[in-house]
Amino acid sequence: MNYFIIGFYALVIGASTLAAYYQKRTAFILLFSLTLVSFVMGIVGGEAMLWGVTLLAGLIAFSAGVSYSFREFLIIILPRDASKEMRTAPLTAGFGLFVIFTYTIAGVFAPIIAPYGEAEVISSAFAPADENMLLGADQLGRDMFSRIIYGARNTVGLALLATILAFLMGATAGLYAATKGGKLDQLLGRIVDVIMSIPSLIFSLLLLSIFGTNTVTLIIVIAIIYAPRVFRLARSVGGNVVVMDYIEAAKLRGEGTWYLIRKEILPNSTAPLVAEFGLEFCFVFLLVAGLSFLGLGIQPPTADWGSMVRENATLISFGEMTPLIPAAAIALLTVAVNFVVDWMLYRSSGLKE
Amino acid sequence: MSQDKSVLLKIKNLRIEGYSDEKWIEIVHGVDLTLHRGEVMGLIGESGAGKSTIGLAAMGFTRDGCRISEGSSIEFDGMELTTTPASDLQSLRGARIAYVAQSAAASFNPAHKLIDQHTEAPVQYRIKKRLESQEDAMELYERLRLPNPREIGFRYPHQVSGGQLQRAMTAMAMACRPDLIIFDEPTTALDVTTQIEVLSAIRDIVDQFNTAAIYITHDLAVVAQMADVIKVLLKGDEVEEADTRTMLENPKDDYTKSLWAVRDFKRDQKPRPTEGLPLISVKNVDASYGDTPVLHDVSFDIFEGMTVAVVGESGSGKSTTARCITGLLPPTSGEVLFKGQPLPPDYRNRTKDQLRQAQMIYQMADTALNPKVKICDIIGRPAQFYSGLHGPELKSRVDELLDLIELDPSQYYNRYPPELSGGQKQRIGIARSLAADPTFIICDEVTSALDQLVAEGILRLLDKLQNELNLSYMFITHDLATVRSIADEVVVMQYGKVVEQGPKDEMFKPPHHEYTDLLLSSVPEMDPDWLTTLLEERGVDDIGEAARASKQED
Repeated sequence: MNYFIIGFYALVIGASTLAAYYQKRTAFILLFSLTLVSFVMGIVGGEAMLWGVTLLAGLIAFSAGVSYSFREFLIIILPRDASKEMRTAPLTAGFGLFVIFTYTIAGVFAPIIAPYGEAEVISSAFAPADENMLLGADQLGRDMFSRIIYGARNTVGLALLATILAFLMGATAGLYAATKGGKLDQLLGRIVDVIMSIPSLIFSLLLLSIFGTNTVTLIIVIAIIYAPRVFRLARSVGGNVVVMDYIEAAKLRGEGTWYLIRKEILPNSTAPLVAEFGLEFCFVFLLVAGLSFLGLGIQPPTADWGSMVRENATLISFGEMTPLIPAAAIALLTVAVNFVVDWMLYRSSGLKE
Repeated sequence: MSQDKSVLLKIKNLRIEGYSDEKWIEIVHGVDLTLHRGEVMGLIGESGAGKSTIGLAAMGFTRDGCRISEGSSIEFDGMELTTTPASDLQSLRGARIAYVAQSAAASFNPAHKLIDQHTEAPVQYRIKKRLESQEDAMELYERLRLPNPREIGFRYPHQVSGGQLQRAMTAMAMACRPDLIIFDEPTTALDVTTQIEVLSAIRDIVDQFNTAAIYITHDLAVVAQMADVIKVLLKGDEVEEADTRTMLENPKDDYTKSLWAVRDFKRDQKPRPTEGLPLISVKNVDASYGDTPVLHDVSFDIFEGMTVAVVGESGSGKSTTARCITGLLPPTSGEVLFKGQPLPPDYRNRTKDQLRQAQMIYQMADTALNPKVKICDIIGRPAQFYSGLHGPELKSRVDELLDLIELDPSQYYNRYPPELSGGQKQRIGIARSLAADPTFIICDEVTSALDQLVAEGILRLLDKLQNELNLSYMFITHDLATVRSIADEVVVMQYGKVVEQGPKDEMFKPPHHEYTDLLLSSVPEMDPDWLTTLLEERGVDDIGEAARASKQED
């Protein structure tokens, strides 16, 4: 028993008692389960485990704090309508936005932020972290931190472009099919069925080995693989809008199909499409990372999180966590995007009513 | 049958608040209500008056985002509902208090048979065994004069008609023999002919079981038939309460009087111009949806500046005729002439000018206006599209149109449709059709989704516009009161055929075609004895579907 353990238990027990006294149900349940869990952990893992719990709690509290202040910051700087929306946003959405914001900054200003170039060899292979290298060096002696920063630009940028392209193709075709109906709808639908029937990873491997791996082909191949899902969604959402009387009114007015799609149908389908955009972005992102891991994605020496995991994978056997850092970067962005998407889905689904 | 007339429900100082824009706003401001056993109370008022909210509160229930304020008291048979735990309330509802919703079609679960839904509550509350309850359901179906009472329960909701469904729902409400039933606009969505069946069924069953009921509606003539006591509500406040006859003969408050006066709007009938071609002429039109023929040899003329009302039950082909005229459904034979010139059957082949001449106003303003487009763009688009107006010209045209429909341009110009009330939306719909500068407008049930006061405003507006702009209207409706007030000529349709047509005053005078007669006599009147008299005249069993069905069986 030392002061840390005594202090730790005193804190959790005291806090749960206070929560119980002031009848904060959720807070009490949370704190008290933490107390019970720490008893078990203290017995099993000793002091080290308790330190872990303290760190984890601190980390969560820290991110909650950051998300809260970021949300408040957005509420102040955004225009009136948007800040009203932000005020109702959950803390998780604030966190998601903060992470996305950080990644964007890192990606856009990569050359300024990164201390070294992405292909610059500055030390020996697998050198440990020192005052020059925040996260150590990779298998060729390049600075890990700089490569992660550049990776944000390459990996995220590529995934974003591919998703946008997939959406342009899928949503346009889907809404067009919904508006026109008939044979065209059937034809597009069957084409999409064919694409969807081939497992996406195998299909992309196939296409990439046929057309070669450069960034443009990569983007187009990924967009083709993901467009069918967007097509399906856009068509079903559009199908519900097309039957409305205001579409009939516009048709009777003599409006063309393109006007119908752009002005009448699209504004009423944006919410589900935006939510889907967030989800697809995560999938595309993971596919890009996966392809890079297999060696078919972004080619070296360009920094890319997926290939960074692969290249440094050997280090795992030495008990180093370096290869996990780019993986964590992928995971964090995926979680963040999903937090934001959840919030958007919640808003568009009318669950709040 | 007991004749217990003790107090069943006593609501005192009921206040209900709703949560919106991050604060609580009071929507019902202290309403008192006392209901005895076997008594039917009618709650009337326009939409937003808090009728349904009070109806639900009588079950100790509020919609999500609403709450009953402190100090309110709802006492049901000696139980204070505001303090009863939720689990007890749950078993009270269904077993002792039942609720019949406006749209039976939306309230039944489409995946289960009617009788299974019927027996759910009694079995769950252990009031009856499943088989007993099924037997009881069949008996109730018979009392409600549903055709084939022993078999109809084994159908799915989509296999029976709207009126039958509404009656099945009333039967379901009776399943546990509740002490109180709340009817929330049970006949609003039905045709006049079906409405009568449902009304008489509800009245009988309430009588037979000495059940108390709260009957919520905005149709005064209906409430006059059903209720013993009428309470008038306005914006969450009680205006007045009196028994039905007193209320009808001698309303005290000005607001009540204005409600009563609504049905007075009537304009003079214009004669048909003696010379010149009709503006629109429908000639021997047949049409079908796929292989199902829906229109048979429909012909009628619409002259300039006239209003032709097309009436009939739902499914009689009124709206289909409109679709043939607009070109959405090309007729299989026959043609539509515009000023003597045949119009291309498909709207896609019509010229911009032909499209501009004929405009349409829809029944549901909610679905007829794009919720994501600003009012100025909704109205401005036709003006821009047909006349090529731009910039300040377009703006002044939109302002002019907004003035025409009596909405303040400065206030509504930049708003979105969901921010408007039902009546205002319908006005925007009218403005949009006017923006095309048409000569002919099809009004498809434009007032049937609106309250009477609002509907009257719309009718007056349409009449004013007709005089100012010399418009012709084709008025599709099942509400004969509307026909009486605005039509010059009447076309009666049934099963896709024109049964009778002629000038309004002739049409409303006997002798009628059998079907016209049925329609006319089914329009509820303000006389509280009207339903009783009517049913006696027709012979109780000789009404509508039940009668037809039993005849077929023989």
